[in-house]
Amino acid sequence: MVAVAFINPFSEEGRQIVRELGDLNSVYEENGNLIDLVIHSRSQDIADDESIPHNLIELALKRLEWYIRKKNNPDFDYKKYSYLYNPQITRFDVIAFYLLAQAISVKFGPNSRESRAMAECQGKIMESRIGELSIRDKKHLLNTILGSMLVGDVKWTIFADLLSSRKIRLSDLVMDQGSIILDEEEFTESFQDKLENRDPHKMYELLIGDHIKELILNKMIMQKTEDYITEVYKKSQRKVEPNPILLDLADGISEVLSKTYVSYGYHGTADENMEASPFNNDVFPPCVKTVLEGIKSGGRNDAIILFLTPFLSYARLYPDVFRRNITLKISDVDPQLEAVEKEILPLIYEAAERCSPPLFEDQPQEKVNINAKMGFGMHSDIELKHEGETTWYTPMGCEKVKLHLPSLCKPDETCKKIGNPLSYYIRRLNDIKYHKTDLKD
Amino acid sequence: MVFLMEENDRLLQPASQEERRRYYREEWDVKDIPEFISNSIIKREFGFDHMGRGPNDRYRVFRSMDLLRKFLRYRAPFAAYSSVAFYNKPRRREGWIKSELVFDVDAKDIPIRECGCAGVCEICLEQAREIVCNIMDTLKGDLGLKNIHVIYSGRGYHLRVFDEEVMGLDSDVRGQIVQYIIGAEVPRNEYAQDGITYKLEHFTIPFGYPKVFTERTKYAILHLKDHMLIDDINPKLLKDAIKNQEILHEDKWGMFKGKIGPQRYQRLIKSIAYLNMGLVDAKVSIDLKRILRLPSSLHSMVSMKCMEVKNIEKFNPLRDAVPRFVYERKV
Repeated sequence: MVAVAFINPFSEEGRQIVRELGDLNSVYEENGNLIDLVIHSRSQDIADDESIPHNLIELALKRLEWYIRKKNNPDFDYKKYSYLYNPQITRFDVIAFYLLAQAISVKFGPNSRESRAMAECQGKIMESRIGELSIRDKKHLLNTILGSMLVGDVKWTIFADLLSSRKIRLSDLVMDQGSIILDEEEFTESFQDKLENRDPHKMYELLIGDHIKELILNKMIMQKTEDYITEVYKKSQRKVEPNPILLDLADGISEVLSKTYVSYGYHGTADENMEASPFNNDVFPPCVKTVLEGIKSGGRNDAIILFLTPFLSYARLYPDVFRRNITLKISDVDPQLEAVEKEILPLIYEAAERCSPPLFEDQPQEKVNINAKMGFGMHSDIELKHEGETTWYTPMGCEKVKLHLPSLCKPDETCKKIGNPLSYYIRRLNDIKYHKTDLKD
Repeated sequence: MVFLMEENDRLLQPASQEERRRYYREEWDVKDIPEFISNSIIKREFGFDHMGRGPNDRYRVFRSMDLLRKFLRYRAPFAAYSSVAFYNKPRRREGWIKSELVFDVDAKDIPIRECGCAGVCEICLEQAREIVCNIMDTLKGDLGLKNIHVIYSGRGYHLRVFDEEVMGLDSDVRGQIVQYIIGAEVPRNEYAQDGITYKLEHFTIPFGYPKVFTERTKYAILHLKDHMLIDDINPKLLKDAIKNQEILHEDKWGMFKGKIGPQRYQRLIKSIAYLNMGLVDAKVSIDLKRILRLPSSLHSMVSMKCMEVKNIEKFNPLRDAVPRFVYERKV
């Protein structure tokens, strides 16, 4: 039987494995059992020594490397990592999981792109592992793990965190009087009367069945991963010096995450990044063009501060933020803040001036909020010494725009293919870039 | 209720300063303010609009209902508001504790309005009432919420939810609730089991979100009129949808879809899902620090009372929410 900790590192079984680890320095030691297991895993396709993790630190990095390769490369050769699907790896894998989570906590903290990548990695690993299990093992594990995590009548509100981070959508859940229906008996009891001429069992399997349980479990563990990172981060703030092993691992994590391997599907080439480059206003999405023309009715402040400022700053300086997994500050890409002062702020200020009434005429203090959204704290001037006091806000997704600023959303054909205005901009930039190349060819 | 032309001329007109004074001195009673405000008065921020230019007198707090009574009596504001949020320091809007979950259905902003009037009228107010009833069914039946108060706002309705388990939710969850209850997305129609994909249209699933979407879509289609201009619905599609409205009265969706054609049907429901976004003002629901019109106060723009509705099924704003001074106006 497959161990619960293979899917859920937070289980009692998982915690026990960590307690048994003993000396943390052993994570760097060559681990013969691990190597043996990697080499002898079913369907493995390892032809070089580099692909073999020799110790727990290397296993931790391989875990992330698997996720990044899988995410960015449709032709990804998963057989090089087939040991990650081998239930016998559980004991090593759980330690690798905690090492990664702790390293990310102490170096990057929660709400970082690294933290998000870690949670997503865990979600993908679980998904792939569950997909490889036999139906019997899968049912057993889903029921056992969910049974221990969700006790009694499950109200939808207990998933507030998952709903908030959009890991789960309310519309994914089947609810009756506020309770989430997961069990077939409950389903039949609640809806049998409404199911005329339909087999309740079939409807249950299609609408709920194992896939909703799997979705909930997967997202709960992703959320637990984020919560764990937050918890460790808070603890680490009280300590003077983090463990150097974790800091070393964090450097390794940065290296793995900064490699994008292959991307952009139809146009992409290996290791190609979308470089920071001057604006091309012609390919801004319709919503951004609308704000640049000035907001004449409601939502002026949000449109300029929450919507336009993050969009323009990322579009100009870190356009592929959603594809890459590392946290950057503005000064990492614009050390003298020249682009901020000469290109980004002027565009924002001009748009603010075109609003009716002009934004800074009645609310000059909003300039401070613009600076804050770019990470420079609540100060009237942008200065490097204040960088990091606030978070550099990532651009609002289309879903949020529709809710916060519905008047901006007038989708065109390209909008139908993207979920964030920044993706629209990159897509159109790529279209131009590759169209030009095609013409030259 | 049908009003005579003469009565109609008196209704929905702005209130003068003198009428506002008369309202607050002669007709309004502090006891008309619902308990859900009076029992939390010290935790809420109050805001006022004195000149009809928006609520710019904000961050007000009242330590007792009597102080609020005196303020309203003497100032007779153009509009009065209180926060949906509860604060430890309401004067500074600091120490947020929780917020009511609110939904704002404004008759003038209903996306598919039969009347086509410029402001609000009996017809669109009735539509707003129907939409509120539908939303309440979903809030109770699907989300299991129980402590719901309906307020007639003067030009529409506010649904104010006080169930403790939703009052601490953040904006993002509230956004998801809005999208769920208004049917803002076309549900998926492919469901897989054991490697086989089955097609199930939303109208074949009598529970969960697909049912909500079906109800909202039905409501929209049944209210389509041939003068309407709707994005992505060309005149021919609009005409065909109207022509086949009757079929939906009996919920014969398969037949309706057949008459429209599968591809045009998808286009139709996609457009309706987009329009549904306007059923409630989502900005109000996701704003944790919003101020909402104070129940019992006067909506001076239309001379209507903002009031708690005890029985939404029987409520008629043009009968129940018109202040006395309106009937005494000279036409």
